Amino acid sequence: MFNFAFSSISEAIIMESQNGQNHGLYVWSVFGIVFGTLIITFFIYRIKIGNLSKKIK
Amino acid sequence: MQVDKAYSYIFLTSLIIYLVAIFWGLFLTPEDFVQGNSYRIIYLHVPASFISQSLYLGMAFASAIFLIWKVKLSAYLVRSIAPIGAITTFIALVSGSIWGIPTWGTWWVWDARIISTLILFIMYLGLISLHDSFTNNEKADKFLAILVLVGSVNIPIIKMSVEWWSTLHQTASITISDKPAIDTLMLYPLFASVIGFSGLVLCLVLLSSKLQILNRERNKSWVKKYV
Repeated sequence: MFNFAFSSISEAIIMESQNGQNHGLYVWSVFGIVFGTLIITFFIYRIKIGNLSKKIK
Repeated sequence: MQVDKAYSYIFLTSLIIYLVAIFWGLFLTPEDFVQGNSYRIIYLHVPASFISQSLYLGMAFASAIFLIWKVKLSAYLVRSIAPIGAITTFIALVSGSIWGIPTWGTWWVWDARIISTLILFIMYLGLISLHDSFTNNEKADKFLAILVLVGSVNIPIIKMSVEWWSTLHQTASITISDKPAIDTLMLYPLFASVIGFSGLVLCLVLLSSKLQILNRERNKSWVKKYV
């Protein structure tokens, strides 16, 4: 049903396109920014709520 | 405690859906004929872009409820959504810029879609600063609600910018009236990524609302009992 678009991990990292350009750098940097931002935001809110709860107690 | 349990379920389900969608989009969909592999950024850019505008509409709706019926929780919700909206708009702008390098040959162009999205980002930051600059919270809530409603005019501008002006940014691939201009092999993981990302953002909004409520109601006895 599904076919892998890449035949190896290194190919998936580099993501060489048919026009010869390597797009892995762009795709993976966006991936890192999105997940990094989400994770940092979750932690910031958790810490802020924890600190405020301690103050209220 | 039931709320915390529901929150954990939403978070875990959304995270799983989002990770599966990203895996599907990055590794199982074929390469795009025109854009090559850079099109895979769609699975990260489109959900952020869609949610950044949806959150503003949510803020506008809550603002209207606050101004008409004076529901205090709506005002808290407006203030809670603003930072999350700013974060998702930031993700949309940065991911779009990075996508622009291999696709357009430049990371930034002053076209209508990008400018209107940048305005949305500045509006989110402005609304947060405005609210925090007041010493009287009730006054701040009122001003914020009015400004949110005025600023909501930017949302249809963002949506229609690619139709009204000649832009480098492509027109919408998915519309309600027409058949999607994107192949189903690429479309399904896109839908899944939007659902997963929406769930994660919902969790962030819930956390932000919790912080806002605890902060504003800190002197009430029920808050002391809750924490």
